[in-house]
Order: sequence, then C-alpha cells, then structure tokens
Amino acid sequence: MIFPSTVLFGLIGASILLILVVVIRPSITASREGKIVAFLALFIVPLVALGVGASEHMERSEKTQFCLSCTIMEPYGRTLYVDDPSYIPAAHFQNHRVPADKACYTCHTDYAMFGTIQAKLNGLHHVYVYWFGTPMSPIHLYHPYNNRECLHCHAGARSFEDSPTHTALMGDLKSNKLSCTTSGCHDTFHPVDKLDQVKFWKPAE
Amino acid sequence: MLRKLRISGMLLIIALVIEALSLCWNTAIAFMSFAVVGGMFFASGILLFLYSLVPSRISPDNN
Repeated sequence: MIFPSTVLFGLIGASILLILVVVIRPSITASREGKIVAFLALFIVPLVALGVGASEHMERSEKTQFCLSCTIMEPYGRTLYVDDPSYIPAAHFQNHRVPADKACYTCHTDYAMFGTIQAKLNGLHHVYVYWFGTPMSPIHLYHPYNNRECLHCHAGARSFEDSPTHTALMGDLKSNKLSCTTSGCHDTFHPVDKLDQVKFWKPAE
Repeated sequence: MLRKLRISGMLLIIALVIEALSLCWNTAIAFMSFAVVGGMFFASGILLFLYSLVPSRISPDNN
C-alpha cells in the first residue's frame, strides 16, 4: 500500500529534479519547449507540492500527538490517562468513544458549518500565541462548551436517549439552554491541577 | 533573466527541502517551519519567477 506521505515525498523529489534541470541549464528557456518546462518546474509543480503539503499538514494537525507537542498542553495529555471514569475526557479517550489519535480535535472542533475551518484558525491562533505571545493561564476555552459537540455523537444513542434525566431535559439540552457540563452533571474534565493526586491508567503494550 | 530563473529555482528547492523536512515530524514547530519559513521561500521563488517573465526593456518595434 502506498501512503499519501510517500506520494508527497515523491512529488517533492520530482519537483526538485525538475527545478534542478532549469537551474543547471537555464538556457533551455530559449526554446518554446524549454519555456514550458520552466513554467512547469518553477510555477505549476511547486504550487501543487505546496498545496498537497499544506493539506497533509492540516490533516496531521488533527492528531493528538500534534496538539500535545506544545509543552503547555502536556498536562492535558496526561489527564487522558487518569484512572477515573468520572473524568469525561479520560473516559472517552480510554474507551475509544473518540478516535484515540484524534482525541483533542474530536471534542474541541465545532460541529457546525465551517466548524473545521474555525477549529484550524483557532489552532493557528494557539500556535501564534504559544510562540510569539503570552498564553492564558490557566488555559480555558474561548466560549462555553456547546452541547452541539456532545450531541454530535450522543444524540440518538440508546444509552443517552434512555436516560430519564436526559429525557426530562432533552429540549433544554438540544437548544443549549442547559449545558451538559452544568455543575452536578458532566462537570469533570482535565484535572491538570490534581495530577499529583490521581492514579493513572497504563495501557497494555 | 537567466540569473533570476536560477535564483528562483534555488529558492524553490530550499522551500521544498523545508517542506520535506517539516513532514518528518508531527509537531507545531514543524508546521510553523513549513508555513512561515517554507512559505516565504515558496512565495519569493514563485514571485521572482513571475517577475523574470516581465520584459526588462520594451523593444522599439513595439512602439
């Protein structure tokens, strides 16, 4: 099986070889064919390589590993291994209710029109602030967590719909009038300030 | 014009090498290297190529 990154590396290699032809022998541009080669080598092919590379980077930026590559996010990554099912992110991650390799993105993207674009822009802003600004301390969400993100998966699920509490509050939950994260409901998330007090789950090798 | 083509090609090769290197890691710094450093080399290489297409002197026959 050929991986997309293999194709991309092949494209980059081919682009470099094509450009080298023009760099070593720029005189070929005297002919019409040479002009076409130069146009392909110095404009079309690099643009394609850039576009495919950008797409690959965007895909990779959804990975848990990417989100946790900044030191400031490391404690949040550790909370995914807390051995206590009352913590929502840990329970979702450990039981694969969200894809383990896209754990952060799955819960923290907006499931709305242009939600993916918004999430990417937020990600760019995070990276910018991390490198060139002062990150907020403690880290918190820009907006209150929207029930839409929970209901994207849970709405229609038997375990969710059969719960008498959910049934009684369904209207308010779906209209986001009552947050799923209301105190007393699902209000335990990333215990970054209690990492020295909690037990951790160790996945089997 | 030939010199501009050479420089443009070299800038683009550097950009492509940066892109290839940035794909070896899945970290925020790899992405930033690709987007900022690689992007600058890409932009300057392509713009220089396009600039090289502009004739430096207008032939008297065209007047």
